[in-house]
Amino acid sequence: MKKWLITTLTLVMTASLATGCGGNNGSTGKESGTASNPGAGDGKKTELTFWGDWGGEGQKQFETMVNAFNKSQDKIHVKYVLQQDMITKFLTSATNGGTPDVLFWDRWRTSLYAPKNVLHPVNEYLTRDGISQDDFYSESLRELSYDDKLYGLPLTVDARALFYNKKLLADAGLQPPTTWDELEASATKLTKWNGNKLEIAGFSMGDLGLFNMYLQQAGGTMLTEDGKTNFNNEKGKQVLEFWDRLMNKDKVYKVGFELGLGEGQDAFVTGKVAMLYSGPWMLSTYNKYGKDLDYGIVPPPAGPNGDKGSVMGGFGLVIPEGSKHKEEAWEFIKWWTANKDNALLWAKTSLNLPGYKPSMEDPFFKDDPKWQPFLETLEFAKVRPNHPGYSVMETDALAPNLQLNQQNKLSIDETLKKSQEEGDKMLKDNEVVK
Amino acid sequence: MASIRKLEKHQARTAYLFITPTVLLFTVFTVIPVVMALYLSFTNYDVLSRNDWIGFDNYRRLIEDSLLWKTFRNVFFYSIIFVPLNILISLLLAILLSRTWRGVKLFRTLNYLPTLTSAVAAATVWIWLLHPEFGLVNGLLSYVGITGPAWLSETRTAMLSIIMLTLWQSVGSNMIIYLAGLQGVPDYLYESARLDGANKLDCFRYITWPQLRPTTFLVSTMAIIGALQLFDQAFVLTQGGPANMTKTPVYLIYQQGFNQLQMGYASAQAFVLAVAILIFSLINMRITKAEEPIV
Repeated sequence: MKKWLITTLTLVMTASLATGCGGNNGSTGKESGTASNPGAGDGKKTELTFWGDWGGEGQKQFETMVNAFNKSQDKIHVKYVLQQDMITKFLTSATNGGTPDVLFWDRWRTSLYAPKNVLHPVNEYLTRDGISQDDFYSESLRELSYDDKLYGLPLTVDARALFYNKKLLADAGLQPPTTWDELEASATKLTKWNGNKLEIAGFSMGDLGLFNMYLQQAGGTMLTEDGKTNFNNEKGKQVLEFWDRLMNKDKVYKVGFELGLGEGQDAFVTGKVAMLYSGPWMLSTYNKYGKDLDYGIVPPPAGPNGDKGSVMGGFGLVIPEGSKHKEEAWEFIKWWTANKDNALLWAKTSLNLPGYKPSMEDPFFKDDPKWQPFLETLEFAKVRPNHPGYSVMETDALAPNLQLNQQNKLSIDETLKKSQEEGDKMLKDNEVVK
Repeated sequence: MASIRKLEKHQARTAYLFITPTVLLFTVFTVIPVVMALYLSFTNYDVLSRNDWIGFDNYRRLIEDSLLWKTFRNVFFYSIIFVPLNILISLLLAILLSRTWRGVKLFRTLNYLPTLTSAVAAATVWIWLLHPEFGLVNGLLSYVGITGPAWLSETRTAMLSIIMLTLWQSVGSNMIIYLAGLQGVPDYLYESARLDGANKLDCFRYITWPQLRPTTFLVSTMAIIGALQLFDQAFVLTQGGPANMTKTPVYLIYQQGFNQLQMGYASAQAFVLAVAILIFSLINMRITKAEEPIV
């Protein structure tokens, strides 16, 4: 009897412990709920949750915008929630109802997620509120679209342009290159070897993901209209031959040269790389760490037939289908992305190019020699193809073969052939199946 | 008689009570997910909109997935170098540090220290050490006149770099296990062997090594499982590159499931990995023959 008593007692205690835990969780949840309410005011306001994965400086930038919006009207209150692993979190929340109202969105994901009906189309809102699509870069809208439906508005636009070290170029008596030939000649002249040790790389060839951009400059495209790879041809060959000359004949770069050099030791900041392709997201770093770094930017040099090319990317704001306040979410997105002053405030806060074209006419962009080349580049830059399997094809089929080629383990023809075979298979395996 | 049975019953009840929480946790977080993953591997589950039964389609696709088999080849290459080296180095360290000499505790601590570092933090530091031009490793090599490779970026050295890092990180904890194992070897065995005229090498070969069999079995099994589940280091150091040389099955499963939303197919891949781990553990069991130690 007595032992039974002990057993039951233990059970009861365990149970109470367990429920104690549950109760605790509940109350903390409540607490945080009430803590956020006072900020909202009289409780009449609609609470919007805005998810993003930018922390640190980025979080401050987002909060600046959110606060400005909250002050601008008294019907909606937006709260920024930092989600480090946002996409995974969104996946689970999209199925169980805990979705946010606005999502900070890496635009290339649209073609992967839109077919699954987890994003809300905004075409109707756009028409109703008379927002002209011409005010945005058409390519950035294309990246946010799937099957003729638009799923959000672009928040930032970016493209790669050529950064060059002014001092190194001046010392060598060079002008920034405008064509592939000039790029090759300058890079060769800027490179400095000390025996087997590379001291200054004339031109960075660390990012083979830029193949897409070179292919555009050679006049090609990554995919055909019907979603197959389109680089196993003369144009793809031109790119690889150009790379081969730079790597093996002119020896302007060494494999792995920049890997692991953090912000402070960045090879461009420290003058160990004379020229490289980079985007506006690096401006703040270069300005911050490169006190002695005098650099300039020019649009990407044109290919052998004078074709220009760059890859456009950037972020947007979208409304998840599960949001309970879609109208209010749209208000917030519209306020931020389709308003000249607010888009400009965002641009100045975060040093990003806003998606809204009219705000780029501001002297902040127009008169700054650092922004000007990007504005020029954006005129011809193209987004990555809208195929859900595109990024896998690029990283798992194309890039590995390009790396083998760069290390002289695979001939140019073999590289293109293998990339095509493996790439086409991956595109097919990852396409949308209805 | 009856009272004894009563007592046993009571003991059994208490035992069940004590294991209940663990079993519950095990069921909720291990058994159920495994069963669910098995079910999902026969569907086209994409987390968001679809979950239809598609039979063996995922498994058929697996067979033609050359990338998946490449990742298996990668971890196989990794294992055949990593596991023996791991056993060898940690055993040598343990023997060296099992004696009592001045400062031995300090050395034990120093050897264990890398284990405490998180994989990601360690990898970040190692990227620096392995830099082709400014890294410490190539810097030391250049003193003896060798031009070191671009460790992480060259196809022939990338996996070796990861082996170096993971060895550095794991020998410490295995050393502790071996130290414990060495403590368990009874002294009288050595004494009688010495009386029979055995030298140090004989002692190791006929006493220490056989006595350590269960320990070696544990260490090697954990090392094999760890090797097949390699992810963090490869993710941070090389992102699976160059040329997919360091891509691992877990990496691929993660990518397929969370980046491409093909959870069904990723589950099928995960099952193949689970079966592979099972097979390798069985082989290892055969090789190390975890017999009872001879006492």
